[in-house]
Amino acid sequence: MFEFFDVYLLEAVISGILLGGVLALIALGLNLIFGVIDVVWICYAELIMIGMYGLYYFYSVYGLPMWIAAPACIALVAVLGLLLHYIVIQPLLDAAPINQLLATGGVLFFLQSFATVAFGIDFRNLGIRLPVLAIGEMHFSFARLLAFLAALAGMVVIYLFMTRTYIGTAIRAISQDRQIMVLMGVDTKRLYLVTSALGGALAGLAACLLVLQYDVHPFVGLSFGPITFLIVVLGGLGNFIGGFVAAFVFAEIISLGGLYSDLEWGYVLAFAFFILMMFARPQGLLARRS
Amino acid sequence: MSMRLGRRLLGAAIAVVAALSLAVPAVAQPKIKIGVIFDLTGPLAGGGSELHYLGVKIMVDHFIKQGGVEGYQIEAIYADAQSKPDVAINEAVRLIEQEKVDMVMGFFSSAQCVPVAARVEQLKKFMFITTCISSAVLENRNLKYVFRAQPSGSQFGELSMDFVAQNAKEKLGKDAKDVRVAIIHEDGAYGVDVAKGNEAGAKKAGFNLVLKEGYSATAPDLSALVTKLKRARPDVIFHTGYNPDITLFHRQARENGLKFSALIGHGAGYGVYAKLKEGLGKDVDYIYNVDPISIWSTNQKALDPKLPPLIQMVGEEYDKAKPGTTIRSAHVGMSASNSYVFFTEVLPRSIKKYGGVDADALRKAALEVDLPEGGTMLGFGVKFAGDDSPVAGQNLRASPVITQYIDDKSYVVWPKSQAQREAVLEFPAGTTYSPK
Repeated sequence: MFEFFDVYLLEAVISGILLGGVLALIALGLNLIFGVIDVVWICYAELIMIGMYGLYYFYSVYGLPMWIAAPACIALVAVLGLLLHYIVIQPLLDAAPINQLLATGGVLFFLQSFATVAFGIDFRNLGIRLPVLAIGEMHFSFARLLAFLAALAGMVVIYLFMTRTYIGTAIRAISQDRQIMVLMGVDTKRLYLVTSALGGALAGLAACLLVLQYDVHPFVGLSFGPITFLIVVLGGLGNFIGGFVAAFVFAEIISLGGLYSDLEWGYVLAFAFFILMMFARPQGLLARRS
Repeated sequence: MSMRLGRRLLGAAIAVVAALSLAVPAVAQPKIKIGVIFDLTGPLAGGGSELHYLGVKIMVDHFIKQGGVEGYQIEAIYADAQSKPDVAINEAVRLIEQEKVDMVMGFFSSAQCVPVAARVEQLKKFMFITTCISSAVLENRNLKYVFRAQPSGSQFGELSMDFVAQNAKEKLGKDAKDVRVAIIHEDGAYGVDVAKGNEAGAKKAGFNLVLKEGYSATAPDLSALVTKLKRARPDVIFHTGYNPDITLFHRQARENGLKFSALIGHGAGYGVYAKLKEGLGKDVDYIYNVDPISIWSTNQKALDPKLPPLIQMVGEEYDKAKPGTTIRSAHVGMSASNSYVFFTEVLPRSIKKYGGVDADALRKAALEVDLPEGGTMLGFGVKFAGDDSPVAGQNLRASPVITQYIDDKSYVVWPKSQAQREAVLEFPAGTTYSPK
């Protein structure tokens, strides 16, 4: 066995995989939206924040059982995604990308301010303590394991939906050529709304799993937003599998870099890797060279 | 007839009074405009800044209700630093240049304090810090107009190490060289400074420092840090953080099976018990916090007799603003007490002795403050270091204490002279973090 190998290295590797699951889950919805509608929802992490508040209120304040509260939270964010598209994105579909970006950036600040006014600045917590998975000296968070499994399941479901259903096929076709699909009688507006609701629902699912691991406050999105955006770019904007792989690569660099050096070096290494890859493979990790 | 005459006379009298009042020019009451800056939004707001804002506001309102100080009306203009240093600087400059405030007060985050102090000094305005603790704000900067009533961060760090050093043999059953300590901290000016004090204290005590590491307070994951701590096996962890990084660390420590004998937090997030309890549940029991003493825990018999009624008033206003609080946060009392020092010691002296509220008058008045122990609600005295000191502007008589949370109560356990109960140094066997 190598001298540097120990049980803590193994724990760090598995922790990295579990963190990768969390990041992959968040990246999934963002990728879906970009892949189909060709718009980056900069405010995606803030939708998750609203979802976290939603679950907190449904479960902790109104006392709904989790099996009702969680689907209600997912539905709430799905509706928010739909509204976001209908009110903000749809009027800007033909605008310059920078305008679309600025508009969703505006929604980001709106949602942060709205949450500050509506929910206050206090940190909220569901107060749920999930059991811990212990294998010898290694311990793993059950909440992270759940998020990891949800990311895997979400990935498979999205893949099946996109490849095996009529709407999924139409969505993929739209992402390839927005103009021609209208000529073929496809209701693009309806499909965009479906995609936005689906992206919102994925944000809702991420919210349900993140609220088990993090306190909710109006600025919780700052912890995830930038890193998720980097992952989606690293994987190739709109490339589900690329985003999925990038999330795990990023998480492992953070986890192992943090173990063998200062914690912050883990992030420095991850960002340095991102910059290098932008030079080496600007289309994303799994993109084919054209 | 007589009634008509009476009415005429009354009318004439009113006219004369009105004419006289017009003839004598109204003398406007002089006023001091104070810019108060805290974080009311952003992550630092819930991490304690908003509680400090409340403390200052209670005291400002108290003196406004009293009609001001020495004939001067008080007007406070509150600004939100939004948990961002650049916003804090811009707001300080805006208040000084556009709102024409005479001075600025407040400041929660050390990362804001350091640059704001330099900017305010440049503008030759008076700055009275009620909250932030980093030594870097004042140390070797020779600032003339910046004063701080709070203890400094390195004092926090050294006190907690000294506490463990004095109790290691008796309560951990170990010689100092065998005590394994880890220092973890957020990587801003605040965390770095307290960690510096921790490190100096560890060296002085002869502890075995097994890990010292900083992290970003907004990091989404601390599990690598937890794994490193598991490998380093510290007996005592010294932690400085805001929130929510503190609750994230504790959650991941529990989930990753980290065991240690004791944990000492240093202010900020560790001073907001209600949030710690909400995030950690029963795991908050036996955790320590280093901060200036809560004004509701001071030995009131040892205080200046005029202070206990004020402590009561601050408590009542706190309860009105935050009904249902389990343990009143020391944060509110801290900034209320420190701002009270300004309104009762600095401001009146500046007006009476130095004839106004400009920066030089306020500075001269501040340098003459000489309160003995028991002279403030926080128990400590006040004497600001002069120009000849490397920490000019720092209150040399300020000192923190160590409290321990047990069963929804907060007890002062160190220094011994102020202790309300014996410290339970090790987590009891069977509790979440206990190695036993």
